[in-house]
Amino acid sequence: MTQGRRGPGAPRVGIGTAHGHHGELVQGAFSRPGGALVRALLTLPHRGIGSRVVFHPEPGAALVLPGPGYEKVGRAVELTLRALFDEPPGGRVEVTGDVPRGVGMGSSTSDVTAAIRAVADSRGAPLPDDEVARLAALAEGACDSIMVADRVVLFAQREGAVVETLAPRLPPMVVVGCDTDPGVSVDTLAHEQPRYGSTELATFGVLRSALRRSLTTGDVGLLGRAASASARINQRFLPKQPLDFLLALAEEEGACGVQVAHSGTVAGVIFDPARPDTAHGVYRAVDRIGAAGLPVTSVLGESLVRDVPVGA
Amino acid sequence: MPARPYGEATEAYRIPKLIRLAPNLYGVCFTLMKMIPARHILRRAEADGLLEPETVVVETTSGTFGLALAMQTAQAGRRLILVSDPAVDERLLRRLTDLGAVVERVAAKAAVGGYQAARLTRLAEIRRELPSTFCPEQYSNPDNPRSYALVAELLVEALGQVDCVVGPVGSGGSLCGTTRFLRSVLPDCHAIGVDSHDSVLFGHPDGPRALRGLGNSLMPPNLDHTVLDSVHWCTADEAFLATRQLHQRHALFMGPTSGAAYLSARWWAREHPDALTVVLLPDEGYRYLDTVYDDAWLAAEGHVRAELPDAPTPVADATVPGTVWSAFDWGRRTYADAVAGVGLAVR
Ligand SMILES: Cc1ncc(COP(=O)(O)O)c(C=O)c1O
Repeated sequence: MTQGRRGPGAPRVGIGTAHGHHGELVQGAFSRPGGALVRALLTLPHRGIGSRVVFHPEPGAALVLPGPGYEKVGRAVELTLRALFDEPPGGRVEVTGDVPRGVGMGSSTSDVTAAIRAVADSRGAPLPDDEVARLAALAEGACDSIMVADRVVLFAQREGAVVETLAPRLPPMVVVGCDTDPGVSVDTLAHEQPRYGSTELATFGVLRSALRRSLTTGDVGLLGRAASASARINQRFLPKQPLDFLLALAEEEGACGVQVAHSGTVAGVIFDPARPDTAHGVYRAVDRIGAAGLPVTSVLGESLVRDVPVGA
Repeated sequence: MPARPYGEATEAYRIPKLIRLAPNLYGVCFTLMKMIPARHILRRAEADGLLEPETVVVETTSGTFGLALAMQTAQAGRRLILVSDPAVDERLLRRLTDLGAVVERVAAKAAVGGYQAARLTRLAEIRRELPSTFCPEQYSNPDNPRSYALVAELLVEALGQVDCVVGPVGSGGSLCGTTRFLRSVLPDCHAIGVDSHDSVLFGHPDGPRALRGLGNSLMPPNLDHTVLDSVHWCTADEAFLATRQLHQRHALFMGPTSGAAYLSARWWAREHPDALTVVLLPDEGYRYLDTVYDDAWLAAEGHVRAELPDAPTPVADATVPGTVWSAFDWGRRTYADAVAGVGLAVR
């Protein structure tokens, strides 16, 4: 892989894609073996939505972006070209995608990740995931872990680095997603980083254990309770007005817990498809969330339960 | 646990071994459970700049918390003064002094609060005499219960599900801390606190107690009564015999507070075969070789008994001490509600 970087072929049109997510299962600060704290998260990927970037390289020319609001994409292209090929950016960038913006579903990271991959592709030099993550964090200031495709990781969003590999994959889950504050958008970097107290920090250690255990054994119940605990702790920092409603709904409908976007407005009720009444619970959750005036954004893993209507 | 070397003894001493005692019962076996709060509190104080080079660590204890502190201060090259009862055991005293601790013994009990109140008075005097002291205050320092997040971490990672935690209660730090952190992901986890008759923790009037290491003559602020689902009181005889059975049947060489907790946990696990129970076993048996593990001593002290009751005797009033192992439905109530016998939720 490193060979391809130094002796790239002639620039050609590069294509990169990346998917979005539905907020986080857990987000907090965790102590490393030496005791130092690292802010980290576990992303809930949403493979049904994503970004696609096409990069038309023109060495020596200016960099043309799709329009205003794509500064991070521009930074990603520039960083990648400079880091990999020692070149100033030149060319045209096209971005298409269907990740909702400003709700915490990773639109920015998916654009940036797709852009980095497109630039690498334009030189026939695909990048390893950890390199994409590092560049994405540099371009954005912080990013989620959607570029880490082949495993489930606890991910330091500010550094763009894997803290710990938790499992090869997430267990099968159904997540009924909704927007807890329709019309409001959150600027991830503008909002202040949470200052957790001692008990909260100690609790994150327990949540990490719950993640290790639940992802190793496929225990969606434990994973869901860890997600709920994380949502409750972070409620102090970016409150979701309907969180209590969603937690109660989860309890009443036989769900495992509630996950939220810790820098956005979406939230999801987590169901275990292996439980007998899940299809019914999912159906009821979609109904009740809609009746409460919250738009259902998506039902992740919907194919795992039959007879369930697709979210609006 | 990560397969890596420990940086120092006190780091290793914190880590318990999880040992299966029955298909649905695990012992959390400590060499020295009090290392968890002792190390956490001193490291925290260090990080918060509360420990100058000449700061003397002072604490009132004649038990395992003092030993854990002494191990920490020996490593750090720091002075430690412990204020204890006249009755501090000689084996422990030798170990404490070998670790460089100065052990001061109070002469007599205070009128109210017994030796513990007398120790607190002496401690206050010592602090006035020294320019810089730090007292870990295990009975009131919230870092004591907080430090037990470590135990919850280990249990959650190793077992995933824990339906009931049983532990002896002295300061309340270990059982309340462990349970509260477990409940962050296992909200229904049941908690049973094990006390000695004639201890004030759960409503009995203070009185002489042969079973040491659990129970208290003063109410510790770190005991959060609302964590507990039920409370058991046992006698010294029962705890000692259970300690021996833990050794004889499971080859686990633990102290008498472990025996007391094991007695209750074994019963609960038998009664709830589909639930997973864990029991905190706080220290090893060496300190008790000449007492609990000595049949002649047990006979001389009148602690011999042939067998243990199958079940605790249910009691309806938390304020009346008994003469046998007994159980009270605490129901996560405040102290005031539980001893008044009001506010028990129907569940
Ligand atoms: C041997 C032993 N067991 C149990 C306990 C009770 O633990 P806690 O103070 O956390 O309630 C103590 C407390 O000193 C102890 O020394």
